[in-house]
Amino acid sequence: MRFVVKRLVLFVAALIGLSALVFVMLRVLPGDVAAVIAGTNATPERIASLRDDLGLNKPLVAQYGDWMLGLLHGNLGVSAVGGRSVAGQVVTRMSVTFPLIVLSLLIALAIGLPLGCAAVLARSHRLRGLYHGIAIVAGAIPALWGGLLLILLFSRGSGLLGLLPAQGFPDDGWSSPLRALASLTLPALTTGITAGASIMRYTRAAVRDMASSQAVDMAMACGMTRTQAVLRVALRLATPQLVSVIGLTFAQMITGVMVVENLFALPGLGAMLVTDVGNRDLIAVQSELFLLAAFFLLLGLVVDVAHRALDPRLKTAGITSGKATA
Amino acid sequence: MSASKIVISSIWSKVGGKYALVVIGLWLLTAAASLVWTPYPLLDTDGFNVWASPSAAHPLGTDGTGADVLSWLMAGSRTNLLIAVLTVIVAAVIGLALVAAMVSRSGALASTSVVVVDALISIPTVLIALILTVPFGASAAVVVASCGCAYGLNLARILRPSAMLAARSAYVESALWSGASTVRVFFSHIVPNTLPVLCVQLSMSAGTSMLAEAGLTYLGVGVGAGVPSWGHSLSTSVKFISIYPMAVLWPGLIVTMVVVALNLFGDALRDALDPLTNPALREDS
Repeated sequence: MRFVVKRLVLFVAALIGLSALVFVMLRVLPGDVAAVIAGTNATPERIASLRDDLGLNKPLVAQYGDWMLGLLHGNLGVSAVGGRSVAGQVVTRMSVTFPLIVLSLLIALAIGLPLGCAAVLARSHRLRGLYHGIAIVAGAIPALWGGLLLILLFSRGSGLLGLLPAQGFPDDGWSSPLRALASLTLPALTTGITAGASIMRYTRAAVRDMASSQAVDMAMACGMTRTQAVLRVALRLATPQLVSVIGLTFAQMITGVMVVENLFALPGLGAMLVTDVGNRDLIAVQSELFLLAAFFLLLGLVVDVAHRALDPRLKTAGITSGKATA
Repeated sequence: MSASKIVISSIWSKVGGKYALVVIGLWLLTAAASLVWTPYPLLDTDGFNVWASPSAAHPLGTDGTGADVLSWLMAGSRTNLLIAVLTVIVAAVIGLALVAAMVSRSGALASTSVVVVDALISIPTVLIALILTVPFGASAAVVVASCGCAYGLNLARILRPSAMLAARSAYVESALWSGASTVRVFFSHIVPNTLPVLCVQLSMSAGTSMLAEAGLTYLGVGVGAGVPSWGHSLSTSVKFISIYPMAVLWPGLIVTMVVVALNLFGDALRDALDPLTNPALREDS
């Protein structure tokens, strides 16, 4: 319990620290934020009124306070380019990004866990080498390139097999679930394969560590075969470590998710963030960056607490995180 | 034989190590060569020959401005080399500083640094890059800074167990009692104990920074538009896809081969540096 409280206090502190960092970073921009938003051919009056609207005439601390208060009320501000509320856009975009992330993660787990266990169970030297090779090569493919190769192989139009749509997302969203799912398949495969390779590496390392533990020896002495002992005992013992590793993989997957959203022209959060950064839409960027940072800090918190709950040994050892070496 | 010779020859003795040394060697040679010679000057554009398919004159074709793709790929190797080396240095400095704080004798400093690392470790590279890009603009420095921070945190977390074990050992205790400074003890007793893991992680970081560079540059938060890099070539090749699909292969293949080489190099270096796995090192001393 003390650990959870300590971790929560730290989460809030990190959140405040990051929000201040984001705020300061966007304010050290050379020049006038309002002028940047208004564009090059804006009249001085327009810039002045924009400064007023955005509260840029107030002292920095007051601006920061206003922004924070707004965030607490769920008010993320209004996009300077589209004039639409950022919160509304984030919700719409989530309906693409969230399923994409879940699908990628499922694919990554479906690839990484079985292959990682198989790599531990492999008896011959050559087979182990093959698994190692698969993990290293699949983890070394840039998301952009992986996506392009999948387009060349599978997409309608330019692909060899012509199975799946190459780009875009149905305009009517999820009202035709199959079409929506089809357009998410190639993007999710792209990120899923790379993340799967790293989950495979971590699974292999964690399960291999546990496979030489006394518990596995004991299980085999009780009559389990090595395969049974590894899958039922070692894998279970490795679960807490795997949970925290999968959390981190998830965080690192996000670069790939942004790349595939752009490559496959999906109207997701990542694509929106990149567009807004490109447009210098500071109000939107500020809130979006903060939301993302908050999401990942929360993910870290959940993973740490889950790891702690799953592994009672940590309570006595006083360690906050397990080691994870690939 | 000197220790460095033993290490290099035992890396070379394995298939993976051999592949890694050859690819990394070719990379260094290409980077050096591109300083003095590329098939065409980078800014030499052939307006009558844009989006050209490969030919004898342009082995990998030309891009939308008529610039030679092969020349840009060659020149890109030095940008990526610079990014990889700088990322490794930044990550090592941040990582080791955090490890030093984590194993320090001051309980408050140690526990604070552990929780700070835990809290910040889930922040992805691309988020740091985006935060930095808005005020400073896209550049190779943004890639180095964001990768260096993210990988440094990761490094600290992974090195902590072995550093902790060394810091609580009898030889560190006796070194401290015999009057060695804490800085000296850290670098001559604690860091060498983490060396095998450190090598693997740093060389993986070099590889991951290539992947990050490719992704970030495509998103417009990596190296600037006019700077040659493999990420730049890869992003350009996206536009090739409908004209000459095979052109897509080369930049991605090069990145993948180099990242694989860096990973294998780390593994081979770990095995070669550890006296427990490399008997030749034990016989020498």
